[in-house]
Amino acid sequence: MDGLFESHTIVMRPFEAGYRPALQAYLNHPDLAGRRYIPWGYPELAPLSEHQVEQIIQEWNESKKGFHLAVIQRESSNLIGHIECDWEWDPHCPSISLTIGPPFQHHGYGEQVLQLQLGYLFNYTPAHTVTAWINDWNQDGLAFFSKHGFQNAGRLRRTGIHAGKYTDLVIMDMLRTEWLAGQGGQHGA
Amino acid sequence: MALEGKLVILREQKREDLQKLVDLRNDLETQAWSVSLPPDFTLEMYQKRYEKREFSFERQDGQFTILTKDTGEYAGLVSYTDLHPRFSATIGIIVDKKYWGGGVAYDAQEVLLKFLYEELGLRVVRLWTHSGNPRAVKLAQKSGFKVSLRMREAIWKNGQLLDNLNMDLLREEYYALHPELIDGLPEI
Repeated sequence: MDGLFESHTIVMRPFEAGYRPALQAYLNHPDLAGRRYIPWGYPELAPLSEHQVEQIIQEWNESKKGFHLAVIQRESSNLIGHIECDWEWDPHCPSISLTIGPPFQHHGYGEQVLQLQLGYLFNYTPAHTVTAWINDWNQDGLAFFSKHGFQNAGRLRRTGIHAGKYTDLVIMDMLRTEWLAGQGGQHGA
Repeated sequence: MALEGKLVILREQKREDLQKLVDLRNDLETQAWSVSLPPDFTLEMYQKRYEKREFSFERQDGQFTILTKDTGEYAGLVSYTDLHPRFSATIGIIVDKKYWGGGVAYDAQEVLLKFLYEELGLRVVRLWTHSGNPRAVKLAQKSGFKVSLRMREAIWKNGQLLDNLNMDLLREEYYALHPELIDGLPEI
């Protein structure tokens, strides 16, 4: 049952036009404001229109150096999130992001998604290190990656303005050797 | 206002500069990319790229040829990219080895920084380099940049795993180093 992009509770597959309403619903959820992981050029905080969300799906499906997938809850077939694996400038050091809609958080989906992403990148690509880029005010995001073995690599200072203050972007990384150690040193885990 | 420093003048790129730029890109020591590309660039490649540049009020980059003031010779290229208007940009510099160590790169960097802070009103300027390029790190530090990010072993180059470094200079840090300038932009 467990393929490269599926676990016992979720399946990751390409976005289809039919996912637009569910995607728009969780992207516009206030708890996700500023951490939606949508393409550059779209507003970070303002509600997104149907047309904008359709454009985002189109952009995601046209990615050439990486991919975006929809996260589908196996039990209900509902869209619950989206992920990105991006090796824009060098497959040696891809970056990842994952977003779970607020109604579906704290059920273990994020952990399953992350393990599938890392398994794919370290088992099927030349990735030597994988990075995750998280706003410094996103304490849940920072704690999530830290809990799963990522190290704090530093920050891009002053990448935006949030709640009246400058914000930084924290970059966390995991080396292939660290991932292997977490898998008991075995490839193909 | 001319973009002029003590040692250099920064001016627009001209067709006559392109062969020099090809030569710098075809030398792995001056190529200045974190991922090495084959040193087989041709003048025709750069001419095509040059001709594609179009006028726009929404420019997100600027590219300047560095000329020495005393001889008018081509010394390299300094640029900014990834401009977020009124907020941030990323700079880069390539200098002919003939001018290494003579202050040309530092002067060009300072002229560009003054343009970015005084004219474009940026809040932060960044640059990318790596742990295998201590010369670039030192040059950036001389203008006040600090290493804010070290992505471990994220670069493979010259037969080595290297750390990818981001260095940045905040607006108030820049003005603190330049008491001759007054920052009239209110803080956020």
